[in-house]
Amino acid sequence: MKQLGVLFQKEWRENLRNYKIFWIPAVFILFGIMEPVTNYFLPQILDSVGNLPDGAVIEIPPPEPAQILAAVLGQYQLIGMLVLILAYMGTIAGERKSGTATLLYVRPLSFTSYFLSKWMIAGLIAIISVWSGLLAAYYYTFLLFEQVDFVKFIQFAATYSVWILLVVSIVLAASAALPNPGFAAAVALAVVFLAQLGDGLLGAYWTVSPVKIPNYAAQWLVDGPVRADFWWALGIALLLIAMAVTFGVWMSRKNAADTKV
Amino acid sequence: MAMEEMDLLWLLLPIVLIQLALMIFALVDLVKNPNPNGPKWMWALIIVLINIIGPIVYFVVGRRNY
Amino acid sequence: MNMLEARRLTKRYGGELAVDQVSFTLEEGTATALIGPNGAGKTTTLSMLAGLLKPTEGSVEWDAHSGIGFLPQHPQFFPWLTAIEFTEMAAKISGVEAKLARKQSERTLEFVGLGQAMNKKTGTFSGGMKQRLGLAQAIVHQPKLLLLDEPVSALDPTGRREVMDLLKSLQGQTTILYSTHILNDAEEMTDQVLFMQRGKLVEQGSLAEVKKRHANPQIRIGFDNSEHAARFLQSNPWQAEVKGASIWLPASGGPSMEEVLRVIASDPAGVNAVERQSATLEEIFLKVVGAR
Repeated sequence: MKQLGVLFQKEWRENLRNYKIFWIPAVFILFGIMEPVTNYFLPQILDSVGNLPDGAVIEIPPPEPAQILAAVLGQYQLIGMLVLILAYMGTIAGERKSGTATLLYVRPLSFTSYFLSKWMIAGLIAIISVWSGLLAAYYYTFLLFEQVDFVKFIQFAATYSVWILLVVSIVLAASAALPNPGFAAAVALAVVFLAQLGDGLLGAYWTVSPVKIPNYAAQWLVDGPVRADFWWALGIALLLIAMAVTFGVWMSRKNAADTKV
Repeated sequence: MAMEEMDLLWLLLPIVLIQLALMIFALVDLVKNPNPNGPKWMWALIIVLINIIGPIVYFVVGRRNY
Repeated sequence: MNMLEARRLTKRYGGELAVDQVSFTLEEGTATALIGPNGAGKTTTLSMLAGLLKPTEGSVEWDAHSGIGFLPQHPQFFPWLTAIEFTEMAAKISGVEAKLARKQSERTLEFVGLGQAMNKKTGTFSGGMKQRLGLAQAIVHQPKLLLLDEPVSALDPTGRREVMDLLKSLQGQTTILYSTHILNDAEEMTDQVLFMQRGKLVEQGSLAEVKKRHANPQIRIGFDNSEHAARFLQSNPWQAEVKGASIWLPASGGPSMEEVLRVIASDPAGVNAVERQSATLEEIFLKVVGAR
């Protein structure tokens, strides 16, 4: 564990110097702001593009602020996750493939510290991105529409953070297990999207799936999810995160011999 | 809730600024990059012409660590 | 005292034997050259010794507390770290205390000639600078055992000279095993040689031993032209080989040096050189490898 600090510093420097610490949150903030703004201007946009006869009035009921925040999650579920998966697909596979890992692996390296340092920094940046993006969305929704109860917002964002941490854990485990970054990204994407697809098709019958966490997060904004279902899903998600991390540590040790010498 | 037009402009400013910042960040990085993954002029076009996605694609695919 | 012992080290990839039953020991404080053509299995052997690769069979034993330094043939660095950030991290991971890591890094980088480039990012380094940094990261934690894979073959003649000198200054206090296919380098700094071919160790021993075993020194008589050489052999019917304007006499079974000199003194026409030549490592290597 003494190595954790040393390795975390290395990862921190990498993410600072390849600007991931800046551009990933910037993307999340951008999509967070754009959702309430487009909603605000939607009547005008429809007005200008729609060739309606004079005098026709479009009546669009103003959206509920909770709906807008939930729609931001919808953006993150697609673009946000794609960005995170692509940004961190090479974390371990890339180091092995380029051979930069060799000079670490030849030392008495703790693979637990090695994997954890990478998991911590990717998780940290993902959480910073999600929170800054959602806070921006919250603020804009407040300015353009109405205020959402702040406690509800905190519950909403915290719940979604668990899901995004699960996604990050899956990417890093895939990067530890697979021979190259592209393969790792493909598998991580497949796992995440197939799980969502499966839940969409069959999930009506079980309510404790961790894939439902984004939905539960959005439900906090209104009246909250069914408590028992929510806590079970959350517990299972945390368990899956722990399993992905353990698997990642094990795979990064097992695949160390594949580093380019 | 009605908004003054000036206030609206201020609200839109961050969107423009962040996009601009992403673009400039990516362009400055591209100029300094000794070994991007593909021709520089191509990346410059992608960064400038494709809104938001251009700089992201450059950072993820084109940059290569250096 | 033995620093390292390899016992019947074997690495199989599919059906292919990359390294086949290699056994040797490294004495503390000695320098050993692992010599062989490309593809002989040198890198695989070193990777197993360094603990990067698991041997299919056999074992490596070494004093775990002594620490190990490894320089791959083409060391790769995180391009966004500076040289000193890298060596400091490397030292800390190898167990050097945080306080000492900085000092040792500075000293080591000065030693390999990167004092000026310490705070530059390694992504900007030239091939020669990377090789020096590679050496620095291998010795920064002051290991007792150094494993170097082709440490100088990628360098230009000046760089090669400088790095060889650096290595020679480590000789004695550090046990060194390095692979090379450049035999001049090997001859310069070696107590023991290991010849490798197609995964097998085909010859091993001290440099003197191996030379004695394979090279019988020969006597060469040089002439102004080949006619002189032919005429000389006609009047002195020795068993000899004619190569161009020189004749070569075997070291044993032929005339002694004294006899040769006496004959030449009486008949010096066309002679311009007489010398005793002992074989170079290169000739021995070709002989050992060619015999198979």
